[in-house]
Amino acid sequence: MQRLAEIEVTAEELAAARAGDREARRALFERVAPAALGIIRRLVAQRSMAEDLLQDTLIAMFEHLGDFRGEAPFGVWVRSIAVSRCLMAFRSPWHRARVTFEAWTEDSQALGESAGRTSDLIDLDRALARLSPVTRTVVWLYDVEGWSHDEIARAFERSVSFSKSQLARGHARLRTELQAPVSASALVIPLRSPEK
Amino acid sequence: MIAMDSDDTRDAELVARLKRLDAGAGAPAPGFDYDAMLARHANGITRARRHAALARVTAVGLVVALVAASLWRLDERRVVPNEEIAEVRPSAPQPRIVRADTYFAVAALEDHIASVDDLLNDARLRGGTDDVARLERTRAELIASYQQVRYAEMVSANF
Repeated sequence: MQRLAEIEVTAEELAAARAGDREARRALFERVAPAALGIIRRLVAQRSMAEDLLQDTLIAMFEHLGDFRGEAPFGVWVRSIAVSRCLMAFRSPWHRARVTFEAWTEDSQALGESAGRTSDLIDLDRALARLSPVTRTVVWLYDVEGWSHDEIARAFERSVSFSKSQLARGHARLRTELQAPVSASALVIPLRSPEK
Repeated sequence: MIAMDSDDTRDAELVARLKRLDAGAGAPAPGFDYDAMLARHANGITRARRHAALARVTAVGLVVALVAASLWRLDERRVVPNEEIAEVRPSAPQPRIVRADTYFAVAALEDHIASVDDLLNDARLRGGTDDVARLERTRAELIASYQQVRYAEMVSANF
């Protein structure tokens, strides 16, 4: 999968999309949507909520195409919109309640997505899903997307030390989860054998 | 320091694994295409407008109901005719007799004792010693009866 930050669009494609050309917009959607959903699902584990946020992100992208100045790759600009939408969702009490509710009713990571990966990556995936949304976002943005603590602090409207402490906490939690010999979900209580 | 180095090393391993996880992840397919996204967005806007209109109608309805209720309360303050007041006004409070069974006995005894006291005062003023002695016996008997009635009243009150 092409990473969102690596997606670039030509000036012609951009001009056509800005002019409202339906096919150009459809092509842009098809290029950007899977990668954008990839990062949104990393930050927001619940699939239905991630799809709502993807829609918000793409609608905002199309509505503000005129604001893209081309100083960075197009995907980086879309990524900033996606991350901003996710953080807005984390701040919203309605969305927090929805996360809590959907955590009961929906498996946070579909098992089908784990196919073809080694067991250590599957374990890491599950450990990530068990982090709180804020901690998971800080870990992912810093470690994978390459954001600095300053950028994360600005995005969250918090201090740099908030970003650092969240990262340290996230790493510690991930290490603990990965070192645990048996995960809680896999714990099986053996039945007592009948007395002879 | 050794622990910090160890943590740094483990963090580096963790970051490497996170990057491998990102690289190895397949592209998730969105549950909608471009046209469906536009339709979802249009539906969302329609729904939001409908909710806003409903909220406005509810708010206006509440305000109208509050104003109507306050006007109705003002209208209720009309002049009531004297006949109606006389019908509604409760009758004068009557003296309450709590214990009818002993009340009359106690009252009779108290009246009798009071009359004996008057006769006793007259007899003493007149100097009639026989009358005084007779009246004092009578008064003593009345007082004894009065005490018995009061005791019976107290005992029955405790049950």
